[in-house]
Amino acid sequence: MQSDIFVYMDSSSPAILESGPLTGKRVAVQPNMSVRGWPTEAGSVALRGFVALEDATVVERLRQAGAAIAGSVRMSELGFGLVGDTGARALAEGQADIVLMTDVMGEARVAAAAIGTFGFKPSYGIVSRFGLIGLVPSMESFGILANSPEEIAAVMRVIAGRDDRDFSMPECKTPDFSQVRENQEPMRGIGVVRECVEALDPAESRAFREALCRMEEAGLKVEELCLGDFDLFRTVHNVIGAVEASSSSGKYDGVRYGHRTAVARDWNEMYLRSRAESFGLLLKTYLFQGAYFQFENYAAFEKACALRARLLEETAVLFKKVDALAFPAIRQSFPPSKANSIQEIYEACALTLCANVTGQPSIVVPGFVLAEEGGLGLQIAGPHLSDARLLSFAFRLTNSAKGVR
Amino acid sequence: MNMEYEAVIGLEIHVQLNSAAKMFCDCPNRPGDEPNKNTCPICLWLPGYIPKFSQEALEKAALVCLVLNCHLERQSAFDQKVYYYPDLPKGYQLSQAHQPLAKSGWLDIAGEDGRPKRLRIRKIHMEEDVARLVHETEGRTPISLVDFNRAGTPLVEIVTEPDMRGPQEAMEFVRTLRTQIRYVGSSECSLEQGSMRVDANVSLRPRGSNQLNTKVEIKNMNSIRNLGEAIAYETSRQMGSLQSGEAITLHTRLWDAEKRLTVPMRGKFEGPCVPDPSVAQILISDELLNDLRSRLPEMPQPKTERFIKQYGLAEEEAMLMSSERDVSEYFEAVVKRNISPRTATHWLAAQMLPALKERNESLRDTPVSPERLASLLAMLEKDEVNANSAKEVLTRLFDSDQTPEAIVEQYGFKQVSGASELEELVDQVLAANPSAVNNFRSGQAKALSFLIGQAMQASQGKANPKRIREILMARLI
Repeated sequence: MQSDIFVYMDSSSPAILESGPLTGKRVAVQPNMSVRGWPTEAGSVALRGFVALEDATVVERLRQAGAAIAGSVRMSELGFGLVGDTGARALAEGQADIVLMTDVMGEARVAAAAIGTFGFKPSYGIVSRFGLIGLVPSMESFGILANSPEEIAAVMRVIAGRDDRDFSMPECKTPDFSQVRENQEPMRGIGVVRECVEALDPAESRAFREALCRMEEAGLKVEELCLGDFDLFRTVHNVIGAVEASSSSGKYDGVRYGHRTAVARDWNEMYLRSRAESFGLLLKTYLFQGAYFQFENYAAFEKACALRARLLEETAVLFKKVDALAFPAIRQSFPPSKANSIQEIYEACALTLCANVTGQPSIVVPGFVLAEEGGLGLQIAGPHLSDARLLSFAFRLTNSAKGVR
Repeated sequence: MNMEYEAVIGLEIHVQLNSAAKMFCDCPNRPGDEPNKNTCPICLWLPGYIPKFSQEALEKAALVCLVLNCHLERQSAFDQKVYYYPDLPKGYQLSQAHQPLAKSGWLDIAGEDGRPKRLRIRKIHMEEDVARLVHETEGRTPISLVDFNRAGTPLVEIVTEPDMRGPQEAMEFVRTLRTQIRYVGSSECSLEQGSMRVDANVSLRPRGSNQLNTKVEIKNMNSIRNLGEAIAYETSRQMGSLQSGEAITLHTRLWDAEKRLTVPMRGKFEGPCVPDPSVAQILISDELLNDLRSRLPEMPQPKTERFIKQYGLAEEEAMLMSSERDVSEYFEAVVKRNISPRTATHWLAAQMLPALKERNESLRDTPVSPERLASLLAMLEKDEVNANSAKEVLTRLFDSDQTPEAIVEQYGFKQVSGASELEELVDQVLAANPSAVNNFRSGQAKALSFLIGQAMQASQGKANPKRIREILMARLI
């Protein structure tokens, strides 16, 4: 069954547990997240007809906790950009209580900010990627949209933690998501990156500064910090992201599944035509960028990798001074749902992709950064594995500053 | 070879590891099974699956590095070698380009002048093998089929320094390398069966110079002999080019074993190598390293020396008994049962190994266990059977589970050594062959062999030839 929000719906999704922590919650997924027996085309002709053989670990854990997997929403091709994505609408229109969205450069958080709700990207490596048909393996993770930080924490408590089917997960202690309302060490010092603020237009800047004032009123210490390389996040993400996308999309050959061209003289032509007919122009351009760095300008890719390491170090220095960093989530001037080119997509996600480059957790809190045309979302990014503290912070901030829209 | 030039040769050797499972999944590592039997979503690279690096493959690879005297890197990583071909459906091969498993090794070989020569190994890295393509026709349409059984078989690639100067050295290097790797049980290293593939880079330079000139890569040699021939051919081909003033260009050539020459190959596309984000860094801990070292067996060279000292074998015999681990273990198992080392060596080399080859069996799976062979050899040494009968018994040991004693009993192979029986036999032979007796007495030594042969025949091969000879001599002189 389909609708304008869901590309596939399953009304018969069985509830495994009648009194699990997520019993009664309807979860919407994207069709690049494997649900056994469901069409899993990831928004691309390249995967046409592909049906998942097994549940993704995340899906399996959600079901075991009592959640119902309600359906999979429409998504952009392989999750690149947000045009055509209906995940946020599923939540806004009450079709789902929780939405899982792939967060490659902030899509989940940007989509949450655009509809004025909570969006979260966990620390890299604490949620299994088994069953996720990804695009940029070193940056992406499952993102979560929900109407409260507690719901996000409840989901994280279920899905986070080691999985013996995702062998790429590093050894680390999974944060404790059980006590988000209390018992977490509170965050006090919040940093603001000067170079980020300077890049905002006047209206955005005004809205962001007002939000900062409200945070100070709530008892937080806001400190302005310098991060001279702030501009580089975007370039680094673009170069590494395109290269990884090019590699990870190499497997879409149209031979074993997906679209296969009707006529070809030999296998080489069959590949070329199948791929040419499968990918949309936007994704093709991104893959082409990646191939350029792989084949023609490897030195630039190596440079981007070195810069990524430097950005990680510089961010670590900032987290010695403050508990978390605050940014707006979206730009008023770059609406994500209309971002149709690589440049526009990167503009729309310019403030969220930092956390994908560093692998750090980040949450978007609605109701704080309010511009004339709508909320921009207050994004709080914390150091690696500070996920539970971030969610706790979002909870307290929301509840201590009542009276906001 | 022209005096002015010398060949500079380096090798790139791929070795298929014989691990039970593939490199990134749990599928059986049996490429030869019925096509596409040993596959799973990981080695088919279906979307959503994540490779699982095999500890077993790592250990087999690391043992190869250790027996080739390489420095094992504590930290190594996989890269994606990007190229598109139907045998590689994910568009890249997982290999180690930037951070290989091991570096800086060496092997000592017997050089062409007979003196030991040390050949350096630059690096050893792991990679996955790709699928196998089968080209057929369906009616009149040519079709290509892909067999994924081999996709994900663990490989190590061994890259040498360009230290070899001729085909003999290259062949000797590969032989030595094969012996070392087979000893640690990481691979069979068979060029003929494809578990080892050797490519050679060949260039020429004026003798005495240190420069490295443009090289030509040669491939497709499926035996050590072909490797030697291909290098020799390529050396003289390049020499011809240089003498006629043609420049050598960087390219790849295929050895044609039928025509015995190398032919240029279509240029191969060399893709880039990008760090792989899905396979975690490979770390070798002190603990693992110590464990691997403790698993190294006694290697052929020290074993040869020990066999000479401990068992009094000649150097050649000792090398013969130690060049294969299975042979050396079998040999010692026989000797342990109080068989003289020389008898054991002789019977293993001259009888057992040829018989196994003929029967396509190996020392591991043959019914002729060391215990059974030792029982037979014990009877031989006690003069209960003679050598001819013992060979007959050995043949029967392969096809029955009877003890050697029972076979000797059943078929009447027991050697006739009783003095009176033999003396009677000799007297009959002497009486029947007066002319041979005369010949011997007039100085023809050959006549003695004839008379021994007659006596053996008369005993239906069961007489003790040594005793026959003694009695004959006593009678004739």
